[in-house]
Order: sequence, then structure tokens, then C-alpha cells
Amino acid sequence: MPDVDVLVVGAGPAGAVAAWHAKMAAPELDVVLLERDRAVGAPVRCAEGVGDAGLREFANPDGADWVSRRITDVIFEAPDDTQVVLADCGLGWILERTRFDAHLAAEAAAAGAEVLVAAEATGMSRNGDERWHVRVKERGREDIYRARVVIGADGVETMVGRWAGLDTRVPARDMESCAQYVLQGIDCNPDAIYLQFSNAIAPGGYAWIFPKAIGVANVGLGLVALKTDGRNARQYLDAWVARRFPAAARTGYTVGGVIVHTTIKKTYADGVIVAGDAAHMINPLSGGGITNAMKAGRLAGRTAAAAICAGDTSERRLSAYHHTWMELLGEDHLKYYRIKQALESVDDTFFNKLARTVNNIPPGKRTIGRVFTHALIRHPLLIPVAARFFV
Amino acid sequence: MRRVTPDTIAVVDLAVCDRCGLCLPLCPPEAIHLELNVLTVDDAACTGCEKCVAPCPVGALAMVAYA
Repeated sequence: MPDVDVLVVGAGPAGAVAAWHAKMAAPELDVVLLERDRAVGAPVRCAEGVGDAGLREFANPDGADWVSRRITDVIFEAPDDTQVVLADCGLGWILERTRFDAHLAAEAAAAGAEVLVAAEATGMSRNGDERWHVRVKERGREDIYRARVVIGADGVETMVGRWAGLDTRVPARDMESCAQYVLQGIDCNPDAIYLQFSNAIAPGGYAWIFPKAIGVANVGLGLVALKTDGRNARQYLDAWVARRFPAAARTGYTVGGVIVHTTIKKTYADGVIVAGDAAHMINPLSGGGITNAMKAGRLAGRTAAAAICAGDTSERRLSAYHHTWMELLGEDHLKYYRIKQALESVDDTFFNKLARTVNNIPPGKRTIGRVFTHALIRHPLLIPVAARFFV
Repeated sequence: MRRVTPDTIAVVDLAVCDRCGLCLPLCPPEAIHLELNVLTVDDAACTGCEKCVAPCPVGALAMVAYA
């Protein structure tokens, strides 16, 4: 029955950064990072795009082996395939998540955290000793870890939150069902991400092309099932890929859910903090979660470490995590969510018209500012969609 | 809590399921579990609401008559 100070469940960006920063904040603490799968970072359930500024708070992408591609352009596509090219509109990266997540876990290990793979938390309970008793299955045997603070970074399933009595459920309208192929031998601009909005292609979401190398890209889409014609996400993707890239080789395939809601009402309990996708800390406009997860993980790790050092891991003490997160990004997500709701009434005809009028701005003058000014006049609700895409 | 027995309940086809976990937070009674890479629906807890069926990206969940 191992005794630990901080037990982090899930070694994605939220969990790895939480373990890393808990250990950095208080090196004397015992910090253990659990990964259910046999390798940190696999299977990839992500389009792998991230903005430059947020990423650099945690890792330097210049020359890093966990980067696939540097991105400078965004190409918006209307339902009728009209393209709006925004060249040099900001910097982003397409990651190689298997390596990136391993890099973050290695940072946690270098700081002194213990990383365990193929170790799955299967339940936890409070036994009156001010510690959580967490059942962990590893190599066919079960251990009970006694932890002062459990950080739930277990993604969309968010079992730690559920075990702690938090409400982590999602209404169907706020769940994006996603499917994605890795396609080889495709013709696209390797310095640009492509985003196509159309109710016929990806109702309630969008389709994307995120290049990983010249001729190679993550090609996928996310949709809201309530708005579909009865087909599932994979069937919508097959139709889109058959039209756009009929000759491409499919060398990878993944599916998953993206919660486009807002932060759960309560992200903490006695001795528990929930971070990242598990706490619905995702930009509800873009579906982007990597930077959000790392920022939440850093906050969770520091809060847990400080609470343990102060000898107080009560719900009251850990609530500081929630309030700080809401000030940092949670309140912004509430605003984006309201914009998302307003955008749900915009139809394909509007997007087609908007794309054509934006293209009347000469490419050399087509700065993000001018496009947004244009969009502001046409439809004020559209402005933050692209502006916040990389956040 | 009193529960009315539903006419149909959700079942998962494990040959199709990708273990992505998307359906877990969609389930109002939290009847879906993913443990040791196997997804299960607790048929004693399922209320037959169907909220998990359409969002599954690969169509691994379906409703069947409750026996």
C-alpha cells in the first residue's frame, strides 16, 4: 500500500504538467503519475494543433523532435469551397503527440516524479484517514495507493471526478463527435491549416486539414450528433475525404469526443482536483484543449503542493484552484460558449456570402484585422471565431 | 431511487468500439464504464434514453429490447 503525497491520474498534457509542477513547487513531496495505456501519448486522439504563445510557456518548439510542422497561415473554407486565405496571421504548430506527451512526462520524471505506464486507476474511496485510497491495476495485480491529493487528468471519461462526487456529465448538444485520418500523398499548403465550415460536411462543428509534413496531414472533422442526418462522424468523414482526397492513402485513423461546453461547476473536492478535458477546460469555439490543459495542470500541481505543505487539503483550501482557473481562462470560455450558441443559427448561405465579400479585400491587405473589421460589419458574432482559434 | 424499467437499453458492439470514452459523460445515470480497455453498459442502471447512441463516432452503440 504505497503512500504518496500527490497521485496524478492520466499522463496527457494536464497530468504530466501537474506532476511536473507539483514536484517543482515542493521537491520533498512524493508525486506519482499514472498512465493507463502502455505508452504515454498513444493512442493519439487529437488533431495536434497548438498556438505558439501558449506552448512556449511549457516547452520550446524550436528544433524539437516532438514538432511535426510550423504553421503560419490559416485557410478558411466556405461550404461551397470558396477559400479565404489569411497568410502570416500568427504562428502555430502541429505536434507529434506521441513524442510531445512523452516529453512532458519526461519533464515530470526529471523533476523527480515517478511515472508508471500500463497502470490504471479503477476506483477510489475516502477512509477517514484524510487520504484517498485509490485502486490501481498494474501488470495483473492491484495496489492501493494512499494519496493526500488526487489530481484527475483522465480526459473525457473523467472517472476521478465521478468518484469524487463531482458532476462531470455533458449535454449531447455540447459533445463534438470527431473522426480523423492521417492521409499521405495529398496536395495542400504544408504551412497552412484548413478549416471548412458547412452543415452538410460537419454539422455543428467543422472539418480540418492539419499538415504534419509535405503531402501528409491529419484530416478530420467534428460534428454534433443532434444536427446530423443520421450518419456517424466516421461516415461524414469518409464522404468528405472521398470528395477532397480520393487518391490519398489512409495511414492512420482515430476517433474521440471533444467537450465544447464550459468548465464544470466544481473542479475540486476534499483532496481532489480535476484538470484539463476531465474538467471540460476546452475552448468551446475551437475545440482546442492542449494549452488549456497545461495551464490547468500547472495550477493544479502548484495548488496541490502548497496545500500539502500547509497541511490542509480540504475542499475549502483547494477551491482556490477553481477560482484562479476561472479568472485565467474559465470566464473567457463562458464568453466563447455564448458566441458558439449564437453561431448555431448561422447557415451555409451566410458563410458562402461572407467568404466572397472577404475575398474582395486584396490578399496583400488581407490582415486578420481587416478581415475582422469586415466580419464585424457583416456579422459581429464572427469576430472571435478565428481570433481565438489558437488560444 | 425508483427506476421505471425501460423498453430498450443500450448495448455496445466491442468489435466496433474504439474505447474513446466519448459516451461516458453523455450518460445521465453514469451507466457506461470503461475499465481495462473494455466498455460496458450496466443494464440495471441504463434508463434507455439513447443519448449515447447517435454521438458514437463509429456507431458502436445501439438500443435493444430489454429482456
